[in-house]
Amino acid sequence: MTAEAEILTELRRLRTRLPQVTGALTASVDGLVLAQDAIDDAESVAALTAAALGVAQRLTHTTGRGAFRELLVQGEDGYAATYAAGSAAVLTLLALPRTNVGRLHLEARRAGARIGELVDGALERLETS
Amino acid sequence: MTSTGPRAARPRNTTHSTHRKGSANPMGNTETALKDAMTSIEGTIGVALVDYSSGMALGTLGGGKDLDLSVAAAGNTDVVRAKVRTMELLGLKDEIEDILITLGGQYHLIRLLKSRGHTGLFLYLALDKSRANLAMARHQLRRVEDMLEV
Repeated sequence: MTAEAEILTELRRLRTRLPQVTGALTASVDGLVLAQDAIDDAESVAALTAAALGVAQRLTHTTGRGAFRELLVQGEDGYAATYAAGSAAVLTLLALPRTNVGRLHLEARRAGARIGELVDGALERLETS
Repeated sequence: MTSTGPRAARPRNTTHSTHRKGSANPMGNTETALKDAMTSIEGTIGVALVDYSSGMALGTLGGGKDLDLSVAAAGNTDVVRAKVRTMELLGLKDEIEDILITLGGQYHLIRLLKSRGHTGLFLYLALDKSRANLAMARHQLRRVEDMLEV
């Protein structure tokens, strides 16, 4: 299975485990979609994720909080959350207002780590080939 | 569910950080109450005060590598929500006082807080079955709830 297909499997698995997550995508840190599941206009979401990530990274660095881990935004009609996934990618999730945020964090951190391995692994293979 | 009106209109903000040691909590006496539960209830393995609108713990004490209390907080939020929803579907106009889950080696006790300022919170208590006295633990947990209300 290609890395992209494996990432998509991971996104779908996450959505099955957490039905309150209405959409999931993995983007490169520069804002390009690597894989997405049930997100309308994924390109825009990925681009905005990269913009938010830029600000978040500057904020964590300026305030001495170390490398970026996660970003949670709550709107009146739900959540948009971004989690670090290795060195080159992020995982962005859209969730309903009544989402169990505790579980969202637990599942997304796990998925982010797994997706990070997949993306970093694929990049390494590209470099060595 | 138990919430009234739109979420945005609620005055209370949900806390989006897990206070592992119960420090810097929004209610000054959370830490004291958790400490009291941990020391006075025989057989306690871990205790947590959980916001079930977010699934996050406001304070935790005990636990350790065999019992990750932030996982327990998130997972038991689903338990509470499922029971609330079931009662709604059954048309039961009542409220949950507590939920007991009996394992092979442990008791897990969930007590929903009832006072005005604390709706949407529950106390979670994990007990070692061989050392705990269930009736006493339930009684004492009620006292811990009262401590939180001051």
